[in-house]
Amino acid sequence: MTGRRAAAVLLAVLASGPPRVSAQAVTVDTVGEALRIHAPGFSFLKGEPLARLKDGRSVRVELVATVLAAPGKSAAAATRRIFALSYDLWEERFAVAPVDARSPSVSHLMAAAAEAWCVEQVTVPLNALGALGRDLPFWIRLDYRLLDGDPPQDSSDSGYTLQALIDTLSRRRKTESSVHAVEAGPFRLPPRASPWPR
Amino acid sequence: MGLLLAPGDAMRTLTLLFTLIAAAPQAAMDQRGVVPDGTVISSAQVTGFDSDRLSPGLRLNIHDLAGTPLKQERLDELAARIEEERPRYVAAVRAVLDPDGQARVFFVVARQPDPGPDENVNARYVVEHADVNGVLAADLSDGLRGDLQALVGKRLDSGDAERFQERLARELPGYDVSRRIQKGTEVGRIRLVFDLHKKAVPNWLRFQPLRSNLLYHSDQGWGGFWDVNLGDPTIRFTPMFAFDYSDDHVEEYSGYGLRFETNKLGTRRFGASFEWSWFDTDWRGASLEGLALNPGIPAPYDNRMTITPLLKFAFSPDLSITGGVSISELEPLEPALDTRMANAVVGSIAYDRQSAGDAGKHTVDASFGVHAGTRDLQSDLTYTRYLGQGLYRYDLGRHHLIASGLAGGLTGQAPIFERFTLGDSVTLRGWDKYDIAPVGGDRVVYSSIEYRYTGLALFVDVGSVWDANTERQVRVSAGFGFHAGPAYLAVGFPLNTDALRAVFTMGLRITPGLRW
Repeated sequence: MTGRRAAAVLLAVLASGPPRVSAQAVTVDTVGEALRIHAPGFSFLKGEPLARLKDGRSVRVELVATVLAAPGKSAAAATRRIFALSYDLWEERFAVAPVDARSPSVSHLMAAAAEAWCVEQVTVPLNALGALGRDLPFWIRLDYRLLDGDPPQDSSDSGYTLQALIDTLSRRRKTESSVHAVEAGPFRLPPRASPWPR
Repeated sequence: MGLLLAPGDAMRTLTLLFTLIAAAPQAAMDQRGVVPDGTVISSAQVTGFDSDRLSPGLRLNIHDLAGTPLKQERLDELAARIEEERPRYVAAVRAVLDPDGQARVFFVVARQPDPGPDENVNARYVVEHADVNGVLAADLSDGLRGDLQALVGKRLDSGDAERFQERLARELPGYDVSRRIQKGTEVGRIRLVFDLHKKAVPNWLRFQPLRSNLLYHSDQGWGGFWDVNLGDPTIRFTPMFAFDYSDDHVEEYSGYGLRFETNKLGTRRFGASFEWSWFDTDWRGASLEGLALNPGIPAPYDNRMTITPLLKFAFSPDLSITGGVSISELEPLEPALDTRMANAVVGSIAYDRQSAGDAGKHTVDASFGVHAGTRDLQSDLTYTRYLGQGLYRYDLGRHHLIASGLAGGLTGQAPIFERFTLGDSVTLRGWDKYDIAPVGGDRVVYSSIEYRYTGLALFVDVGSVWDANTERQVRVSAGFGFHAGPAYLAVGFPLNTDALRAVFTMGLRITPGLRW
């Protein structure tokens, strides 16, 4: 009976697929003339990049915030930022430095705080939204891509496999870790300077 | 003070020190040059930092400065100790001359600036030890050992570490190199570790190239052959499926098969493969008419089943030989006729080499093979088929040059599937094989040169396929194509003919190049 229950739990876990950020977790507010995004569950410090950081090496992450008129529609506005992250071995905290130096670096952050800080830096100018927000609702898509990785191994002897074919067709490379995204909406522009769940 | 800073930190630290000067308590200007050595110190304290976080010994030494004559060297030494104990902080010394002639000393401490975009936050720590794991020290050259030691005693420089890692990989190509940083024995100290792991020894024998090709040919229609690798670098199963495929034979065939291969039988010099396949055949009208006019060619068949066990031996990573037998059972088109066997001894020698450098990548594939159908194997058809082929490919960035050629011949009574063809999606693009030689030929000569820039290709094909007792005609074609991953599209034009026409092919191909 226990075994059957365990199997059922396992099946349920497998069926649920990889953990995904709930759209409910995304909120927006305005700061100055920009739209700021909050996505507390949007995590990229995990797995191989985290191991690389814990080995004292740095990792670059690209975050892209896209404003959509509707789910799946083309982008109405987008902002892209790249951050260099590293992990202080002695302080056991993360440091983040925006590569474009448009905002100051921060350090002494726990993983979740470092992630949240990065997301909050990817602001979208309000004047880029046009009618969206005030007259029309909009959706937010947040993507991250890990830019650093070890060079691809020579696969000349491994031949083509089904996976290789899929990778080729999808133009996926090992140096470009999978892109992860969360999409949420609809939003409308909130009154200025008040955190605003959708 | 600040002596342990890496050069890249110097400017930012200098700026910070100026800031400290401006912010120093009770000192609107630098008093350092004003307070002479020997002035009695009335008090000494740490500002900008909780002194309780310093070691008791250092705190005592600072406290004990009171009542002693000022010595700038001693003050600098204590500031350096503060930095050493708290590597994330920078310390400056301020001495203020009081009206009573005594001096008050301040150790002004502030956090170092946060890292820049290309910096690692651990760059503030001093490398106390650098190790290379996975090889004996004797395996490292003197130069490597020197460079390794040069990393020690300085703050971490990720660029230097990266360059050393690259040099390790260059000088020890048999190893995978990675690096990591560990905490050192004291706060603020780190160990830099380069881990070397022996690369898996590459197999000398290569698996048979896949020939998957989903194809549309404007003269020959749709067809497909699909084979897929299942396994690992040593053992592989390859299921095969064909439907209406005629790109490499006279016949159009549909069916399935399975190949098992290992390229390491105890040693990487030995390998083996076993292939079984069953294909149902269809014949074009032109082929049947041609066969009717050539009674010397063995009769067409309804289906063929082939078993091919092979042994392989590698002389070197580049050179190998293969030997075995090919047993084929040919089911006749007319039930009244007997099944025929086409059993042959097969052997080949192959040379495959790749070299890559700054000047591009060169690939050379060459092989020569013989099939000998013999009565000793209970074959109804006795024949000898020989074929030599070569391919050279040069890749430099977006530029690719592919040159290939082949020549072959048949003697005796060879089954139709052994006959040569040209005029398909790979050879003599622009011609239709069923126009050139609808039943194939027992002689073939062919060469091709193709230049590709990114995905755009231009090619010229020249070749001839004929029977020994007939006149030989050389055919030429040229054209262009597009390649995007496995997808391809080509338009070929026959040149030495009065008929102006174009042959269009497109599809998905896994393994480009020659197919025999």
